[in-house]
Amino acid sequence: MRYLISSALALVVSAAATAQQLPVEVFTLDNGMEFLLVPRNDQPNTVSAGWVAKVGSANERPGITGISHFFEHMMFKGTNTVATRDPKRDEQFRTGQKALRDRMNQLIWGDQYARYFRGEIDDPWNPANDTPELKRLRAELKASMDAQQGRAKTEPINALQTKLGSLDPVKDADAIKSVQAEIAKLEADQKSMGSIVKDEFDQLYTAGGGSRMNAFTSYDQTFYFINVPSNKMELWCWMESDRLTDSVFREFFSERDVVHEERRLRTESTPTGTFDEQFEAMFWLSSPYSWPVIGWPSDLNSYTMDEAQRYFQTYYCPNNLTGVIVGDFDAAKVKPMLKRYFSRLKRGATPPPVVTLEVKQLAEMRMNAAAETEPQVEVRYHTVPFQHADSYALDVMSQILNGRTGRLYKTMVEGTGVASDASARQDSRKYAGAFSFSAEVKGNATPLQLEEGWYAQIKRLQDEPVAEQELQKVRNGIAADEYRRLQNNFFIMLQLGVSASLGDWREVNAESGKLLAVTPADIQRVAKKYFDSTNRSVATYVRKAAAAGSTADEPLDPALAALPPQMQAMAKQAIKRIAAETDLAKLKEGIAQFDAQAAAAPEPMRPFIGFMKDKMLERIAELEKSAAPAAK
Amino acid sequence: MKHLTTTLSIGALALGCLAFAADDLPRHPSDIAYPPLTFNPPSPSEFRTTLADGTPVFLAPSKEFPLINLVITFKGGSNLDPAGASGLAAMTASQLRLGGTASMKASDLDERLDFLATKIGFTSSDWTSSASLNCLASTFDESLALLVDMLKTPGFDPSKLEVAVAEALSEMKKRNDSASTISGAEWRRLSYGTEHYRGQQMTESGLKGFNAESMRAMAASIFHPGNMKIAVTGDFDRKVMLEKLTSAFSGWTAGAEQANPPVPTTTLVPGIYHVEKDIPQGKFIIGLPSITRDDPDYIPFMVMNDILGGGGFTSRITQRVRSDEGLAYSAGSQFSAEVFWPGQWRAAFESKNATCALAAKLVLEEMARIRSTPVTALELDTAKKSFIETFPETFSSRDATLGVFMTDEWTKRPGDYWTTFREKVSKVTPADVQRVAQKYLDPSKVTILVVGKWDEIAKGDQGGRATMAMLEKDLGPTKHVPLRDPMTLAPLPMK
Repeated sequence: MRYLISSALALVVSAAATAQQLPVEVFTLDNGMEFLLVPRNDQPNTVSAGWVAKVGSANERPGITGISHFFEHMMFKGTNTVATRDPKRDEQFRTGQKALRDRMNQLIWGDQYARYFRGEIDDPWNPANDTPELKRLRAELKASMDAQQGRAKTEPINALQTKLGSLDPVKDADAIKSVQAEIAKLEADQKSMGSIVKDEFDQLYTAGGGSRMNAFTSYDQTFYFINVPSNKMELWCWMESDRLTDSVFREFFSERDVVHEERRLRTESTPTGTFDEQFEAMFWLSSPYSWPVIGWPSDLNSYTMDEAQRYFQTYYCPNNLTGVIVGDFDAAKVKPMLKRYFSRLKRGATPPPVVTLEVKQLAEMRMNAAAETEPQVEVRYHTVPFQHADSYALDVMSQILNGRTGRLYKTMVEGTGVASDASARQDSRKYAGAFSFSAEVKGNATPLQLEEGWYAQIKRLQDEPVAEQELQKVRNGIAADEYRRLQNNFFIMLQLGVSASLGDWREVNAESGKLLAVTPADIQRVAKKYFDSTNRSVATYVRKAAAAGSTADEPLDPALAALPPQMQAMAKQAIKRIAAETDLAKLKEGIAQFDAQAAAAPEPMRPFIGFMKDKMLERIAELEKSAAPAAK
Repeated sequence: MKHLTTTLSIGALALGCLAFAADDLPRHPSDIAYPPLTFNPPSPSEFRTTLADGTPVFLAPSKEFPLINLVITFKGGSNLDPAGASGLAAMTASQLRLGGTASMKASDLDERLDFLATKIGFTSSDWTSSASLNCLASTFDESLALLVDMLKTPGFDPSKLEVAVAEALSEMKKRNDSASTISGAEWRRLSYGTEHYRGQQMTESGLKGFNAESMRAMAASIFHPGNMKIAVTGDFDRKVMLEKLTSAFSGWTAGAEQANPPVPTTTLVPGIYHVEKDIPQGKFIIGLPSITRDDPDYIPFMVMNDILGGGGFTSRITQRVRSDEGLAYSAGSQFSAEVFWPGQWRAAFESKNATCALAAKLVLEEMARIRSTPVTALELDTAKKSFIETFPETFSSRDATLGVFMTDEWTKRPGDYWTTFREKVSKVTPADVQRVAQKYLDPSKVTILVVGKWDEIAKGDQGGRATMAMLEKDLGPTKHVPLRDPMTLAPLPMK
């Protein structure tokens, strides 16, 4: 067995030593746009192509949070050539809509916000709270958008369609003909009024054999990508350079509704979505990572076309973009094509830097949440950004902890069995980083036990160096993954683009060497450096009080759920005693004692004292009420 | 001179701009002449051979990376779960990997595999199961030996089962937490009934009954020669690989191929069904039974669905519900055609409570429209080109190609399916599209499942354009379905 281990060790490591670098050709245009070309013939006939803009939510500010993501949606809405049959008239529609919406925004930010601050309305943006003028403007805007989309007559047409469906193809043959003629006329009418060719951007790619066309926005980048057949590289060049030079923000106002639905889907309707968002907002103190990528709801409604235009000019200049092309193509043929099409982008000023650095955290922060989910915990620490020398040791440390034979699984899932799932992760963003531990309870374990289990793991990493054999196992995995991650065009494209947007695409080739060089001493050093209690934020979740069908053993009082987990068990015991107490005098005495203690109690105890006092008052009221009839 | 130079350079610049503007950039993508792309789908015979015992093997060697990827597929999966033991096949597969072997302790096996950087996995789902191995070519022999050891002499260590049961219970507790898991489970019950394995779910008591004997019996019924096909890609020599496979699997008792899964005895009953969930966005599924995969209408149905709701932004449901009206982030339809019984056509969306009914109304209107009016030439052309042009992606990697061939062999797909696919797509006419829509997509026969906050959803949108009562006129009163206890599946009291 010993022989086997050492021989395999040598084999794996020698594989790593010869690990092939991803052969990337860099091709840069005069306007500063950089392309990374990786011809590969292992996946014949297709190419994964994309480009990344080095801008994301970190480049935003309060008031326009979410604009990077909203902007990404806008990039699919066409240009003066794509998705319009009449660019002049389309521009008139857009100008008219902009004026209407700007006026609406003034009224909402002014009068409606004032009414909201005075408590007269619950939501300044809800159309149900519109003033008569806003109502009129909103209707006018809607009518203009419908007309632009060529559906000014949608309602009468729908009514006729429904009628058509109810007619009998044999008996009502004549009626069917006349209804069809009526529909055809209305359709022609509304089409002639409209200027949009719906979703032509998508249609052109679809008919051209494009697939997986999409984009994503994150904190530090906005990435647009697609797979195209090998013979359609010129289609990609045409489409992408067209939208980068001539984007017109069509359907700017109706698309907000889609983004609101996206927010509802991803954040508001998921068990922990809104909590995750608020934990992030709590964790980042001064960094722009504190707001959600999708944006705060009020900002989602607020940004104007002027702001979007400024944003586009600032960040979507070719010198802030990197294109990535991976797959079955001939670089010698594609380079002239890239030059020909993407040279029409005009170089811009260097975009402004993100200057706000995260400040040092001074005290532990906690979020004690009750949500519709199993009890769980996240402990997160401020660490380091992309390419920081310590990021590699932190990454390797997470791999020592993760996986079936990692420390977390062996000690917390199998050993003490407090967790059903536990994992750790170093998240190296462009301007700052964080290390987080997440776990979910097993059986009747509590979030507090998960937290304690984690602190024990950290202490061990601080106290003892990781064993050589344990580290070698992680290194072997890193070496094998060197190859695994290079097997798919699409994935290679994503890695290169993300790395480029974080600051250096070469990290794709350099990273594993740096990970393999991490030593036990490095791990011990970073474990000591970043994992202080004052540098952490903790989110604990208990299951929210039972709605119908919830699985909670007993309904959990929301006030109880709001307490720190370690106080909940204590509070539960105390509640039982209070509920069983029938002596009014004792209860009143208890309140007096709590009042006396409250002033001297340490801050963390105060919610507990407040909670206990409320329970006693409730019990007193109950006893006095039941006593009252007898007294009568 | 200076003046002249300036003039000249401005002139040159202007000329340059003019030449550039006129350049030669095509005005529109339709003006571009693309080089032809010829692609002939590979044939299984290029890859297929058999072991001495008759086990089919598909081999596709390649030198690009020093890795080997091996997949073995087996027939039989959840369809073999005994009554009251839903989830047993899936648990058996995961315990084959985690439970150790007769000669090696589970934890030693885990350590060894992680040290070798070898990934081994077993899964069991619906009516198929699989074993997979991905490793460096240099560790293949030992990795394969470990995989075969797990298959031939599984350990089913009870302590590992205990950990897995506890994990599964934690997952079970979350069944009612998100709308999508509620919706998925309820839709399966509506589609297949609780008598059929597809409509069944694991329960706490069933799970606690799993043990080494029941897993051993399940493993024996699925994982054996006579019921398996092997595919290998990566860095190896064909002849050597065949020798290695032959010797690795020798002495493993062969058995019979598993039977087809049982055909469901129930199907969707039209109507509106609702499960209560207090969230700001309702989740809707609107569906109908469709056809089997080998039905002659399969390709026209596929094209019709692409135009109606399957083709992303270019399709009608997505355009109307998302793009025109802004009612949803994701809205579209899916067409599934099963091998052993008719599949389904399903539209789905999520929308804020007030506009759910309106979005549903738009979906039903689009179903009616594709039946009443022929699709446009552009729509049909776009859909057909999309299927034809993306066709090579089906075979975009060696792993994908071998996967297609293994599935085709298990399901006895007609041998000319891939060679005639593009031609059949190109022949679909507007009349074909309308005919299949009329035959299969009757909006008055749909089943609608709503998961969300009923009092807000029922009222509909502020403008009175649609309420749930309007939909109920055609589909009858909504049936309010109870949530199920996540551990026992017993219906929970409704408020």
